[in-house]
Amino acid sequence: MTAALDLGLIFGLMALGVYLTFRILDFADLTIDGSFTTGAATAAILLVGGWPPLAATAVGGCVGLVAGLVTGLLNTWGKIHPLLAGILTQIALYSINLRIMGRANVPLLRTETLFTPLREAGLLGTFVSVAILAGLLALFVIALVWFLSTDVGLALRATGDNEGMARAQGINTDLMKCLGLSLSNGMVALSGALFAQYQGSADIGMGIGLIIAGLASVIIGTAIINNGRLWITAIAVVAGSIVYRLIIQAALSIPWFNPNDMKLLSALIVIVALLLPRWDVFNRIRARSREKQFVVEPWDTPDPEELDSGDARPPSQGVTKKAGRKNNA
Amino acid sequence: MLEVRNVSKAFFPHTINEKVALRDISLKLASGDFVTVIGSNGAGKSTLLNVVAGRYRPDIGTVWIDGSDVTKLPDHKVAQQVGRVFQDPMAGTAPHLTIEENLAIAWARNRKRRLRLGVTRQRRDVFREELKILELGLEDRLTARVGLLSGGQRQALSLVMAAFTQPRILLLDEHTAALDPQRAALITRLTEELVTRHELTALMVTHNMEQALALGNRLIMMHEGRIIFELGGEAKHQASVGDLLAEFDKFRGSGGLSDRTLLG
Repeated sequence: MTAALDLGLIFGLMALGVYLTFRILDFADLTIDGSFTTGAATAAILLVGGWPPLAATAVGGCVGLVAGLVTGLLNTWGKIHPLLAGILTQIALYSINLRIMGRANVPLLRTETLFTPLREAGLLGTFVSVAILAGLLALFVIALVWFLSTDVGLALRATGDNEGMARAQGINTDLMKCLGLSLSNGMVALSGALFAQYQGSADIGMGIGLIIAGLASVIIGTAIINNGRLWITAIAVVAGSIVYRLIIQAALSIPWFNPNDMKLLSALIVIVALLLPRWDVFNRIRARSREKQFVVEPWDTPDPEELDSGDARPPSQGVTKKAGRKNNA
Repeated sequence: MLEVRNVSKAFFPHTINEKVALRDISLKLASGDFVTVIGSNGAGKSTLLNVVAGRYRPDIGTVWIDGSDVTKLPDHKVAQQVGRVFQDPMAGTAPHLTIEENLAIAWARNRKRRLRLGVTRQRRDVFREELKILELGLEDRLTARVGLLSGGQRQALSLVMAAFTQPRILLLDEHTAALDPQRAALITRLTEELVTRHELTALMVTHNMEQALALGNRLIMMHEGRIIFELGGEAKHQASVGDLLAEFDKFRGSGGLSDRTLLG
Protein backbone atom coordinates (compact mmCIF):
# COMPACT_ATOMS: atom_id res chain seq x y z
CA MET A 1 0.00 0.00 0.00
CA THR A 2 2.62 2.55 1.04
CA ALA A 3 4.86 1.31 -1.77
CA ALA A 4 2.07 2.13 -4.20
CA LEU A 5 1.82 5.59 -2.61
CA ASP A 6 5.56 6.11 -3.03
CA LEU A 7 5.39 5.06 -6.66
CA GLY A 8 2.24 7.05 -7.26
CA LEU A 9 3.97 10.18 -6.01
CA ILE A 10 7.20 9.60 -7.96
CA PHE A 11 5.19 8.96 -11.11
CA GLY A 12 2.96 11.86 -10.14
CA LEU A 13 5.77 14.16 -11.22
CA MET A 14 5.71 12.46 -14.62
CA ALA A 15 1.91 12.80 -14.69
CA LEU A 16 2.24 16.55 -14.08
CA GLY A 17 4.53 16.70 -17.11
CA VAL A 18 1.98 14.82 -19.21
CA TYR A 19 -0.75 17.14 -17.92
CA LEU A 20 1.30 20.14 -19.05
CA THR A 21 1.61 18.93 -22.64
CA PHE A 22 -1.54 16.85 -23.05
CA ARG A 23 -4.06 19.16 -21.41
CA ILE A 24 -2.50 22.62 -21.11
CA LEU A 25 -0.61 22.69 -24.40
CA ASP A 26 -2.98 20.29 -26.20
CA PHE A 27 0.03 18.45 -27.59
CA ALA A 28 0.09 14.64 -27.51
CA ASP A 29 3.76 14.27 -26.68
CA LEU A 30 5.20 10.77 -26.98
CA THR A 31 8.73 11.88 -26.18
CA ILE A 32 8.26 11.01 -22.54
CA ASP A 33 8.71 7.25 -23.07
CA GLY A 34 12.28 8.11 -24.03
CA SER A 35 12.99 11.09 -21.81
CA PHE A 36 11.92 9.23 -18.65
CA THR A 37 14.62 6.64 -19.32
CA THR A 38 17.09 9.36 -20.29
CA GLY A 39 16.63 11.02 -16.91
CA ALA A 40 17.05 7.68 -15.16
CA ALA A 41 20.08 6.67 -17.24
CA THR A 42 21.86 9.99 -16.80
CA ALA A 43 21.29 10.07 -13.05
CA ALA A 44 22.31 6.42 -12.68
CA ILE A 45 25.54 6.71 -14.63
CA LEU A 46 26.51 9.88 -12.74
CA LEU A 47 25.74 8.21 -9.40
CA VAL A 48 27.88 5.24 -10.32
CA GLY A 49 30.58 7.74 -11.26
CA GLY A 50 30.45 9.10 -7.73
CA TRP A 51 28.41 12.28 -8.21
CA PRO A 52 26.44 13.56 -5.23
CA PRO A 53 22.84 12.25 -5.52
CA LEU A 54 21.19 15.68 -5.66
CA ALA A 55 23.40 16.90 -8.50
CA ALA A 56 23.03 13.65 -10.45
CA THR A 57 19.23 13.86 -10.15
CA ALA A 58 19.21 17.50 -11.23
CA VAL A 59 21.36 16.78 -14.29
CA GLY A 60 19.03 13.91 -15.16
CA GLY A 61 16.14 16.38 -15.16
CA CYS A 62 18.04 18.90 -17.27
CA VAL A 63 18.74 16.32 -19.98
CA GLY A 64 14.97 15.89 -20.17
CA LEU A 65 14.60 19.62 -20.81
CA VAL A 66 16.82 19.23 -23.88
CA ALA A 67 14.90 16.18 -25.11
CA GLY A 68 11.64 18.14 -24.91
CA LEU A 69 13.22 21.05 -26.73
CA VAL A 70 14.20 18.74 -29.60
CA THR A 71 10.60 17.59 -30.02
CA GLY A 72 9.47 21.21 -29.82
CA LEU A 73 11.87 22.30 -32.54
CA LEU A 74 10.92 19.36 -34.76
CA ASN A 75 7.28 20.39 -34.46
CA THR A 76 7.55 24.17 -34.71
CA TRP A 77 10.63 24.79 -36.79
CA GLY A 78 10.46 21.55 -38.77
CA LYS A 79 6.64 21.62 -39.06
CA ILE A 80 6.47 17.92 -38.22
CA HIS A 81 3.20 16.56 -36.86
CA PRO A 82 3.21 16.50 -33.02
CA LEU A 83 2.78 12.72 -32.78
CA LEU A 84 5.54 12.03 -35.28
CA ALA A 85 7.87 14.61 -33.73
CA GLY A 86 7.45 12.90 -30.36
CA ILE A 87 7.99 9.42 -31.74
CA LEU A 88 11.09 10.51 -33.64
CA THR A 89 12.70 11.95 -30.51
CA GLN A 90 11.60 8.95 -28.49
CA ILE A 91 13.18 6.44 -30.85
CA ALA A 92 16.35 8.50 -31.15
CA LEU A 93 16.54 8.62 -27.37
CA TYR A 94 16.49 4.83 -27.20
CA SER A 95 19.94 4.69 -28.79
CA ILE A 96 21.12 7.70 -26.83
CA ASN A 97 20.02 6.06 -23.59
CA LEU A 98 22.04 2.96 -24.44
CA ARG A 99 25.02 5.20 -25.21
CA ILE A 100 24.63 6.97 -21.88
CA MET A 101 24.43 3.75 -19.89
CA GLY A 102 26.80 1.75 -22.06
CA ARG A 103 24.59 -1.30 -21.47
CA ALA A 104 20.93 -2.10 -21.02
CA ASN A 105 20.90 -1.96 -17.23
CA VAL A 106 22.77 0.00 -14.58
CA PRO A 107 22.28 -1.33 -11.03
CA LEU A 108 22.46 1.18 -8.19
CA LEU A 109 22.26 -1.20 -5.28
CA ARG A 110 25.54 -0.35 -3.64
CA THR A 111 25.61 3.23 -4.78
CA GLU A 112 24.76 6.22 -2.63
CA THR A 113 21.40 7.60 -3.90
CA LEU A 114 18.84 10.12 -2.70
CA PHE A 115 16.95 7.26 -1.07
CA THR A 116 19.96 5.61 0.65
CA PRO A 117 19.43 7.38 4.00
CA LEU A 118 15.78 6.32 4.02
CA ARG A 119 16.56 2.79 2.95
CA GLU A 120 19.25 2.34 5.60
CA ALA A 121 16.92 3.65 8.28
CA GLY A 122 14.32 1.18 7.05
CA LEU A 123 11.90 4.00 6.29
CA LEU A 124 11.44 3.39 2.56
CA GLY A 125 7.89 2.28 1.83
CA THR A 126 6.68 3.66 5.16
CA PHE A 127 4.68 6.77 5.85
CA VAL A 128 7.89 8.71 6.36
CA SER A 129 8.96 8.26 2.74
CA VAL A 130 5.40 8.95 1.61
CA ALA A 131 5.35 12.20 3.57
CA ILE A 132 8.71 13.31 2.17
CA LEU A 133 7.67 12.53 -1.41
CA ALA A 134 4.30 14.19 -0.86
CA GLY A 135 6.13 17.31 0.34
CA LEU A 136 8.31 17.25 -2.78
CA LEU A 137 5.29 16.87 -5.04
CA ALA A 138 3.51 19.70 -3.22
CA LEU A 139 6.47 21.94 -4.05
CA PHE A 140 6.23 20.99 -7.71
CA VAL A 141 2.47 21.53 -7.82
CA ILE A 142 2.88 24.98 -6.25
CA ALA A 143 5.71 25.87 -8.64
CA LEU A 144 3.76 24.65 -11.68
CA VAL A 145 0.54 26.44 -10.73
CA TRP A 146 2.46 29.62 -9.96
CA PHE A 147 4.27 29.42 -13.30
CA LEU A 148 1.01 28.89 -15.18
CA SER A 149 -0.43 31.99 -13.49
CA THR A 150 2.40 34.28 -14.62
CA ASP A 151 2.32 36.27 -17.83
CA VAL A 152 4.50 33.63 -19.49
CA GLY A 153 2.37 30.81 -18.11
CA LEU A 154 -0.83 32.45 -19.32
CA ALA A 155 0.73 32.81 -22.76
CA LEU A 156 1.52 29.08 -22.67
CA ARG A 157 -2.06 28.23 -21.72
CA ALA A 158 -3.48 30.50 -24.40
CA THR A 159 -1.27 28.74 -26.95
CA GLY A 160 -2.84 25.41 -26.05
CA ASP A 161 -6.37 26.77 -25.72
CA ASN A 162 -6.69 28.92 -28.84
CA GLU A 163 -3.56 29.26 -30.93
CA GLY A 164 -5.02 31.82 -33.34
CA MET A 165 -6.04 34.03 -30.43
CA ALA A 166 -2.60 33.61 -28.85
CA ARG A 167 -0.84 34.82 -31.99
CA ALA A 168 -3.25 37.73 -32.34
CA GLN A 169 -2.32 38.65 -28.77
CA GLY A 170 1.34 38.86 -29.70
CA ILE A 171 2.35 35.49 -28.30
CA ASN A 172 5.12 33.60 -30.04
CA THR A 173 3.30 30.28 -30.00
CA ASP A 174 6.28 28.34 -31.38
CA LEU A 175 8.40 29.51 -28.50
CA MET A 176 5.66 28.60 -26.03
CA LYS A 177 5.36 25.08 -27.43
CA CYS A 178 9.11 24.57 -27.10
CA LEU A 179 9.01 25.93 -23.57
CA GLY A 180 6.09 23.74 -22.55
CA LEU A 181 7.53 20.57 -24.07
CA SER A 182 10.87 21.31 -22.50
CA LEU A 183 9.45 21.82 -19.02
CA SER A 184 7.22 18.79 -19.35
CA ASN A 185 10.04 16.49 -20.35
CA GLY A 186 12.24 17.97 -17.65
CA MET A 187 9.69 16.90 -15.05
CA VAL A 188 9.34 13.48 -16.67
CA ALA A 189 13.12 12.96 -16.70
CA LEU A 190 13.34 14.07 -13.08
CA SER A 191 10.64 11.55 -12.27
CA GLY A 192 12.71 8.91 -14.09
CA ALA A 193 15.84 9.86 -12.15
CA LEU A 194 13.94 9.49 -8.88
CA PHE A 195 12.36 6.22 -9.90
CA ALA A 196 15.72 4.67 -10.88
CA GLN A 197 17.07 5.51 -7.45
CA TYR A 198 13.94 4.24 -5.76
CA GLN A 199 13.96 0.85 -7.47
CA GLY A 200 17.77 0.61 -7.43
CA SER A 201 18.49 0.44 -11.15
CA ALA A 202 18.09 2.17 -14.48
CA ASP A 203 16.84 -0.01 -17.29
CA ILE A 204 16.53 0.64 -21.02
CA GLY A 205 12.93 -0.59 -21.05
CA MET A 206 11.65 1.32 -18.04
CA GLY A 207 9.97 4.05 -20.07
CA ILE A 208 8.07 1.85 -22.52
CA GLY A 209 4.36 2.63 -22.51
CA LEU A 210 4.82 5.29 -19.87
CA ILE A 211 2.61 7.73 -21.79
CA ILE A 212 -0.28 5.37 -20.95
CA ALA A 213 0.41 5.68 -17.23
CA GLY A 214 0.65 9.44 -17.63
CA LEU A 215 -2.61 9.68 -19.57
CA ALA A 216 -4.33 7.36 -17.11
CA SER A 217 -3.28 9.60 -14.23
CA VAL A 218 -4.52 12.73 -15.98
CA ILE A 219 -7.81 11.15 -17.03
CA ILE A 220 -8.50 9.46 -13.68
CA GLY A 221 -7.51 12.60 -11.81
CA THR A 222 -9.71 14.93 -13.82
CA ALA A 223 -12.56 12.41 -13.66
CA ILE A 224 -12.45 12.42 -9.85
CA ILE A 225 -12.36 16.17 -9.39
CA ASN A 226 -12.83 18.68 -12.15
CA ASN A 227 -13.92 22.16 -11.32
CA GLY A 228 -11.57 23.82 -13.75
CA ARG A 229 -9.41 25.41 -11.08
CA LEU A 230 -5.77 25.02 -12.00
CA TRP A 231 -4.32 24.03 -8.66
CA ILE A 232 -7.13 21.61 -7.94
CA THR A 233 -6.59 19.94 -11.30
CA ALA A 234 -2.85 19.71 -10.66
CA ILE A 235 -3.45 18.01 -7.30
CA ALA A 236 -6.06 15.78 -8.94
CA VAL A 237 -3.49 14.65 -11.51
CA VAL A 238 -1.08 13.59 -8.75
CA ALA A 239 -3.99 11.88 -6.98
CA GLY A 240 -4.83 10.18 -10.28
CA SER A 241 -1.29 8.84 -10.45
CA ILE A 242 -1.64 7.36 -6.96
CA VAL A 243 -5.04 5.84 -7.78
CA TYR A 244 -3.56 4.35 -10.93
CA ARG A 245 -0.74 2.68 -8.97
CA LEU A 246 -3.23 1.37 -6.43
CA ILE A 247 -5.40 -0.13 -9.17
CA ILE A 248 -2.34 -1.75 -10.77
CA GLN A 249 -1.23 -3.13 -7.43
CA ALA A 250 -4.69 -4.43 -6.62
CA ALA A 251 -4.94 -6.10 -10.02
CA LEU A 252 -1.52 -7.72 -9.69
CA SER A 253 -2.51 -9.17 -6.33
CA ILE A 254 -5.09 -11.30 -8.12
CA PRO A 255 -3.32 -14.69 -8.33
CA TRP A 256 -3.90 -15.24 -12.03
CA PHE A 257 -2.04 -12.08 -13.09
CA ASN A 258 1.74 -11.81 -13.14
CA PRO A 259 3.93 -8.68 -13.44
CA ASN A 260 4.25 -9.21 -17.20
CA ASP A 261 0.56 -8.39 -17.54
CA MET A 262 1.13 -4.87 -16.28
CA LYS A 263 1.15 -3.20 -19.68
CA LEU A 264 -2.08 -4.97 -20.64
CA LEU A 265 -3.65 -3.85 -17.38
CA SER A 266 -2.54 -0.26 -17.84
CA ALA A 267 -4.00 -0.19 -21.35
CA LEU A 268 -7.28 -1.59 -20.01
CA ILE A 269 -7.40 1.00 -17.25
CA VAL A 270 -7.01 3.84 -19.74
CA ILE A 271 -9.66 2.37 -22.04
CA VAL A 272 -12.12 2.08 -19.16
CA ALA A 273 -11.26 5.58 -17.94
CA LEU A 274 -11.89 6.93 -21.44
CA LEU A 275 -15.15 5.08 -22.01
CA LEU A 276 -16.75 5.44 -18.58
CA PRO A 277 -17.56 9.16 -18.89
CA ARG A 278 -19.56 8.44 -22.05
CA TRP A 279 -21.98 6.18 -20.31
CA ASP A 280 -25.38 7.54 -19.53
CA VAL A 281 -25.17 7.42 -15.76
CA PHE A 282 -22.11 9.65 -15.73
CA ASN A 283 -23.60 12.02 -18.26
CA ARG A 284 -26.62 12.50 -16.07
CA ILE A 285 -24.45 13.28 -13.04
CA ARG A 286 -22.53 15.81 -15.08
CA ALA A 287 -25.66 17.44 -16.44
CA ARG A 288 -26.91 17.85 -12.93
CA SER A 289 -23.74 19.51 -11.73
CA ARG A 290 -23.82 21.77 -14.77
CA GLU A 291 -27.32 22.87 -13.92
CA LYS A 292 -26.09 23.95 -10.52
CA GLN A 293 -23.58 26.22 -12.19
CA PHE A 294 -26.25 27.85 -14.31
CA VAL A 295 -26.24 31.61 -14.01
CA VAL A 296 -28.68 34.05 -15.54
CA GLU A 297 -26.93 36.22 -18.05
CA PRO A 298 -27.58 39.92 -17.94
CA TRP A 299 -29.01 40.02 -21.41
CA ASP A 300 -31.24 37.03 -20.99
CA THR A 301 -33.58 39.47 -19.31
CA PRO A 302 -34.52 42.26 -21.72
CA ASP A 303 -33.90 45.71 -20.32
CA PRO A 304 -36.61 48.41 -20.48
CA GLU A 305 -35.03 50.04 -23.51
CA GLU A 306 -35.34 46.86 -25.53
CA LEU A 307 -38.92 46.41 -24.42
CA ASP A 308 -39.71 49.90 -25.66
CA SER A 309 -38.25 49.21 -29.06
CA GLY A 310 -40.53 46.24 -29.40
CA ASP A 311 -37.55 44.05 -30.11
CA ALA A 312 -37.78 42.10 -26.91
CA ARG A 313 -38.06 38.44 -27.68
CA PRO A 314 -38.44 35.93 -24.94
CA PRO A 315 -34.96 34.99 -23.78
CA SER A 316 -35.50 31.37 -24.72
CA GLN A 317 -35.54 32.36 -28.40
CA GLY A 318 -32.23 34.14 -28.25
CA VAL A 319 -29.54 32.83 -30.54
CA THR A 320 -27.16 32.32 -27.68
CA LYS A 321 -28.21 29.31 -25.72
CA LYS A 322 -26.16 27.62 -23.13
CA ALA A 323 -25.61 23.90 -23.25
CA GLY A 324 -26.94 23.45 -19.75
CA ARG A 325 -30.22 25.10 -20.67
CA LYS A 326 -31.45 22.06 -22.55
CA ASN A 327 -31.77 20.16 -19.33
CA ASN A 328 -34.22 22.67 -17.95
CA ALA A 329 -36.57 22.47 -20.89
CA MET B 1 -0.15 55.79 -38.85
CA LEU B 2 -0.83 52.94 -41.26
CA GLU B 3 0.38 52.89 -44.81
CA VAL B 4 -0.12 50.16 -47.37
CA ARG B 5 2.09 50.76 -50.41
CA ASN B 6 1.38 49.11 -53.75
CA VAL B 7 0.51 45.76 -52.23
CA SER B 8 -0.40 42.80 -54.39
CA LYS B 9 -1.23 39.35 -53.17
CA ALA B 10 -2.20 36.23 -55.08
CA PHE B 11 -3.15 32.82 -53.70
CA PHE B 12 -1.96 29.66 -55.45
CA PRO B 13 0.22 31.69 -57.83
CA HIS B 14 1.22 30.19 -61.19
CA THR B 15 -1.41 27.47 -60.96
CA ILE B 16 -4.74 27.05 -62.67
CA ASN B 17 -6.39 28.04 -59.39
CA GLU B 18 -4.55 31.32 -59.13
CA LYS B 19 -6.67 33.88 -57.33
CA VAL B 20 -5.48 37.45 -57.21
CA ALA B 21 -6.83 38.88 -53.96
CA LEU B 22 -5.14 42.28 -53.94
CA ARG B 23 -4.02 44.26 -57.00
CA ASP B 24 -1.64 47.09 -56.37
CA ILE B 25 -3.50 48.45 -53.35
CA SER B 26 -2.35 51.64 -51.68
CA LEU B 27 -4.00 53.04 -48.59
CA LYS B 28 -3.01 55.56 -46.00
CA LEU B 29 -4.59 56.05 -42.60
CA ALA B 30 -3.80 59.14 -40.56
CA SER B 31 -3.76 58.88 -36.80
CA GLY B 32 -7.34 58.73 -35.54
CA ASP B 33 -8.83 57.66 -38.87
CA PHE B 34 -11.65 55.13 -38.68
CA VAL B 35 -12.04 53.55 -42.10
CA THR B 36 -14.83 51.17 -43.01
CA VAL B 37 -14.28 48.75 -45.88
CA ILE B 38 -17.10 47.32 -47.95
CA GLY B 39 -17.16 45.17 -51.05
CA SER B 40 -18.54 41.96 -52.46
CA ASN B 41 -17.31 38.51 -51.50
CA GLY B 42 -13.81 37.87 -52.79
CA ALA B 43 -13.08 41.58 -53.17
CA GLY B 44 -9.98 41.19 -51.00
CA LYS B 45 -11.21 42.95 -47.85
CA SER B 46 -10.20 40.23 -45.43
CA THR B 47 -6.94 39.66 -47.29
CA LEU B 48 -6.14 43.33 -46.86
CA LEU B 49 -6.67 43.04 -43.12
CA ASN B 50 -4.61 39.88 -42.93
CA VAL B 51 -1.78 41.53 -44.84
CA VAL B 52 -1.80 44.45 -42.40
CA ALA B 53 -1.84 42.03 -39.47
CA GLY B 54 1.17 40.15 -40.83
CA ARG B 55 -0.85 36.98 -41.25
CA TYR B 56 -0.20 36.98 -45.00
CA ARG B 57 2.94 38.32 -46.58
CA PRO B 58 2.28 40.42 -49.71
CA ASP B 59 3.85 39.29 -53.00
CA ILE B 60 4.77 42.87 -53.84
CA GLY B 61 4.56 46.06 -51.82
CA THR B 62 5.12 47.06 -48.21
CA VAL B 63 3.11 47.75 -45.06
CA TRP B 64 4.17 50.52 -42.69
CA ILE B 65 2.89 51.08 -39.19
CA ASP B 66 3.85 54.30 -37.45
CA GLY B 67 6.78 54.85 -39.80
CA SER B 68 8.34 51.40 -39.58
CA ASP B 69 8.22 48.66 -42.19
CA VAL B 70 6.36 45.67 -40.78
CA THR B 71 5.97 43.76 -44.06
CA LYS B 72 8.32 40.95 -43.10
CA LEU B 73 7.51 40.71 -39.39
CA PRO B 74 5.74 37.55 -38.17
CA ASP B 75 2.12 38.10 -37.15
CA HIS B 76 2.77 37.83 -33.41
CA LYS B 77 5.31 40.65 -33.65
CA VAL B 78 2.90 42.86 -35.59
CA ALA B 79 0.24 42.04 -33.00
CA GLN B 80 2.16 44.08 -30.43
CA GLN B 81 0.94 47.19 -32.23
CA VAL B 82 -2.28 45.85 -33.71
CA GLY B 83 -5.53 44.78 -32.04
CA ARG B 84 -7.77 42.38 -33.90
CA VAL B 85 -11.36 41.22 -33.61
CA PHE B 86 -12.47 38.35 -35.80
CA GLN B 87 -15.80 37.43 -37.32
CA ASP B 88 -16.06 34.24 -35.26
CA PRO B 89 -16.85 35.22 -31.64
CA MET B 90 -14.98 32.08 -30.51
CA ALA B 91 -11.76 33.11 -32.28
CA GLY B 92 -10.74 36.04 -30.15
CA THR B 93 -10.73 34.52 -26.66
CA ALA B 94 -9.38 31.45 -24.87
CA PRO B 95 -12.43 29.48 -23.66
CA HIS B 96 -10.81 27.56 -20.80
CA LEU B 97 -9.26 30.62 -19.23
CA THR B 98 -11.17 33.05 -17.06
CA ILE B 99 -12.24 36.53 -18.13
CA GLU B 100 -9.47 38.12 -16.08
CA GLU B 101 -6.87 35.71 -17.45
CA ASN B 102 -7.92 36.53 -21.00
CA LEU B 103 -7.66 40.22 -20.23
CA ALA B 104 -4.23 39.69 -18.65
CA ILE B 105 -3.03 38.02 -21.84
CA ALA B 106 -4.25 40.97 -23.88
CA TRP B 107 -2.79 43.41 -21.35
CA ALA B 108 0.67 41.91 -21.93
CA ARG B 109 0.34 42.17 -25.72
CA ASN B 110 2.56 45.21 -26.14
CA ARG B 111 4.66 44.52 -23.06
CA LYS B 112 7.35 42.02 -22.22
CA ARG B 113 5.91 38.83 -20.78
CA ARG B 114 7.80 37.98 -17.61
CA LEU B 115 7.56 35.55 -14.75
CA ARG B 116 5.20 37.79 -12.83
CA LEU B 117 1.67 36.98 -11.80
CA GLY B 118 -0.65 37.74 -14.71
CA VAL B 119 -3.62 38.79 -12.60
CA THR B 120 -2.76 41.17 -9.79
CA ARG B 121 -5.06 43.35 -7.71
CA GLN B 122 -3.95 46.46 -9.58
CA ARG B 123 -4.59 44.91 -12.96
CA ARG B 124 -7.92 43.53 -11.79
CA ASP B 125 -9.03 47.07 -11.03
CA VAL B 126 -8.07 48.15 -14.52
CA PHE B 127 -9.93 45.18 -16.02
CA ARG B 128 -13.03 45.96 -13.99
CA GLU B 129 -12.99 49.57 -15.17
CA GLU B 130 -12.68 48.50 -18.80
CA LEU B 131 -15.46 45.92 -18.54
CA LYS B 132 -17.83 48.41 -16.95
CA ILE B 133 -18.03 50.24 -20.27
CA LEU B 134 -19.70 47.18 -21.77
CA GLU B 135 -22.56 47.35 -19.26
CA LEU B 136 -22.89 43.59 -19.43
CA GLY B 137 -22.04 42.87 -15.82
CA LEU B 138 -18.86 41.05 -16.85
CA GLU B 139 -16.89 43.09 -14.33
CA ASP B 140 -18.54 41.04 -11.59
CA ARG B 141 -17.67 37.75 -13.25
CA LEU B 142 -13.91 38.13 -13.64
CA THR B 143 -13.22 34.57 -12.54
CA ALA B 144 -15.83 32.97 -14.82
CA ARG B 145 -14.49 30.92 -17.66
CA VAL B 146 -14.91 32.57 -21.03
CA GLY B 147 -16.31 29.37 -22.53
CA LEU B 148 -19.43 29.93 -20.41
CA LEU B 149 -20.18 33.27 -22.06
CA SER B 150 -22.51 33.72 -25.00
CA GLY B 151 -21.23 34.65 -28.45
CA GLY B 152 -22.13 38.30 -28.02
CA GLN B 153 -20.46 38.53 -24.64
CA ARG B 154 -17.33 36.87 -25.99
CA GLN B 155 -17.26 39.28 -28.91
CA ALA B 156 -17.65 42.22 -26.54
CA LEU B 157 -14.78 40.86 -24.48
CA SER B 158 -12.66 40.39 -27.64
CA LEU B 159 -13.32 43.99 -28.48
CA VAL B 160 -12.15 45.21 -25.09
CA MET B 161 -9.10 42.95 -25.31
CA ALA B 162 -8.22 44.34 -28.72
CA ALA B 163 -8.76 47.96 -27.77
CA PHE B 164 -7.71 48.56 -24.16
CA THR B 165 -3.97 48.26 -24.75
CA GLN B 166 -4.33 51.22 -27.10
CA PRO B 167 -2.88 49.56 -30.19
CA ARG B 168 -1.70 51.75 -33.03
CA ILE B 169 -4.16 50.03 -35.33
CA LEU B 170 -7.45 48.25 -34.60
CA LEU B 171 -8.52 45.70 -37.21
CA LEU B 172 -12.14 44.58 -37.22
CA ASP B 173 -13.03 41.78 -39.62
CA GLU B 174 -16.83 41.62 -39.96
CA HIS B 175 -16.92 41.34 -36.22
CA THR B 176 -20.68 41.76 -35.97
CA ALA B 177 -21.59 39.43 -38.83
CA ALA B 178 -22.05 36.27 -36.74
CA LEU B 179 -24.35 37.90 -34.18
CA ASP B 180 -28.10 38.40 -34.14
CA PRO B 181 -29.29 41.98 -34.89
CA GLN B 182 -29.65 42.96 -31.23
CA ARG B 183 -26.14 41.86 -30.24
CA ALA B 184 -24.73 43.22 -33.49
CA ALA B 185 -26.16 46.65 -32.65
CA LEU B 186 -24.65 46.43 -29.20
CA ILE B 187 -21.22 45.49 -30.52
CA THR B 188 -21.42 48.28 -33.09
CA ARG B 189 -22.18 50.79 -30.35
CA LEU B 190 -19.35 49.45 -28.20
CA THR B 191 -16.94 49.62 -31.13
CA GLU B 192 -17.69 53.29 -31.57
CA GLU B 193 -17.33 53.96 -27.84
CA LEU B 194 -14.05 52.11 -27.49
CA VAL B 195 -12.51 53.68 -30.59
CA THR B 196 -13.39 57.12 -29.26
CA ARG B 197 -12.32 56.36 -25.71
CA HIS B 198 -8.90 55.05 -26.68
CA GLU B 199 -8.49 57.38 -29.68
CA LEU B 200 -7.77 54.47 -31.99
CA THR B 201 -6.97 54.28 -35.66
CA ALA B 202 -9.23 51.58 -37.03
CA LEU B 203 -9.89 49.59 -40.17
CA MET B 204 -13.22 47.77 -40.21
CA VAL B 205 -14.51 45.32 -42.79
CA THR B 206 -18.27 44.95 -42.95
CA HIS B 207 -21.01 43.64 -45.20
CA ASN B 208 -23.53 45.95 -43.64
CA MET B 209 -23.62 49.18 -45.65
CA GLU B 210 -25.63 51.09 -43.09
CA GLN B 211 -23.02 50.21 -40.50
CA ALA B 212 -20.26 51.22 -42.89
CA LEU B 213 -21.90 54.62 -43.32
CA ALA B 214 -22.74 55.10 -39.67
CA LEU B 215 -19.30 54.32 -38.29
CA GLY B 216 -16.00 56.01 -38.96
CA ASN B 217 -14.87 59.06 -40.88
CA ARG B 218 -13.88 57.35 -44.12
CA LEU B 219 -15.27 54.59 -46.28
CA ILE B 220 -13.63 52.58 -49.02
CA MET B 221 -15.23 50.19 -51.44
CA MET B 222 -13.27 47.28 -52.85
CA HIS B 223 -13.87 45.16 -55.90
CA GLU B 224 -11.73 42.38 -57.32
CA GLY B 225 -8.68 43.34 -55.34
CA ARG B 226 -8.84 47.08 -56.01
CA ILE B 227 -10.12 50.09 -54.15
CA ILE B 228 -12.75 51.41 -56.53
CA PHE B 229 -14.34 54.16 -54.53
CA GLU B 230 -13.62 56.25 -51.49
CA LEU B 231 -15.74 58.55 -49.37
CA GLY B 232 -14.61 60.84 -46.61
CA GLY B 233 -15.71 63.63 -44.33
CA GLU B 234 -18.91 65.47 -45.19
CA ALA B 235 -19.57 63.41 -48.33
CA LYS B 236 -19.65 60.25 -46.22
CA HIS B 237 -22.10 61.83 -43.78
CA GLN B 238 -24.55 62.61 -46.52
CA ALA B 239 -24.22 59.43 -48.55
CA SER B 240 -26.96 56.83 -48.44
CA VAL B 241 -26.99 53.11 -49.07
CA GLY B 242 -28.53 53.87 -52.46
CA ASP B 243 -25.57 56.07 -53.39
CA LEU B 244 -23.19 53.26 -52.53
CA LEU B 245 -25.12 50.75 -54.59
CA ALA B 246 -25.19 53.13 -57.56
CA GLU B 247 -21.45 53.57 -57.24
CA PHE B 248 -20.97 49.85 -57.05
CA ASP B 249 -23.07 49.24 -60.16
CA LYS B 250 -20.58 51.21 -62.22
CA PHE B 251 -17.95 48.62 -61.57
CA ARG B 252 -20.07 45.54 -61.57
CA GLY B 253 -18.74 42.76 -63.74
CA SER B 254 -20.80 41.78 -66.74
CA GLY B 255 -22.99 38.68 -66.62
CA GLY B 256 -23.24 35.92 -64.12
CA LEU B 257 -24.42 36.40 -60.59
CA SER B 258 -24.86 40.06 -59.77
CA ASP B 259 -22.40 41.20 -57.16
CA ARG B 260 -24.99 43.67 -56.05
CA THR B 261 -27.06 40.83 -54.69
CA LEU B 262 -24.08 39.66 -52.69
CA LEU B 263 -23.27 43.12 -51.47
CA GLY B 264 -26.81 43.88 -50.38
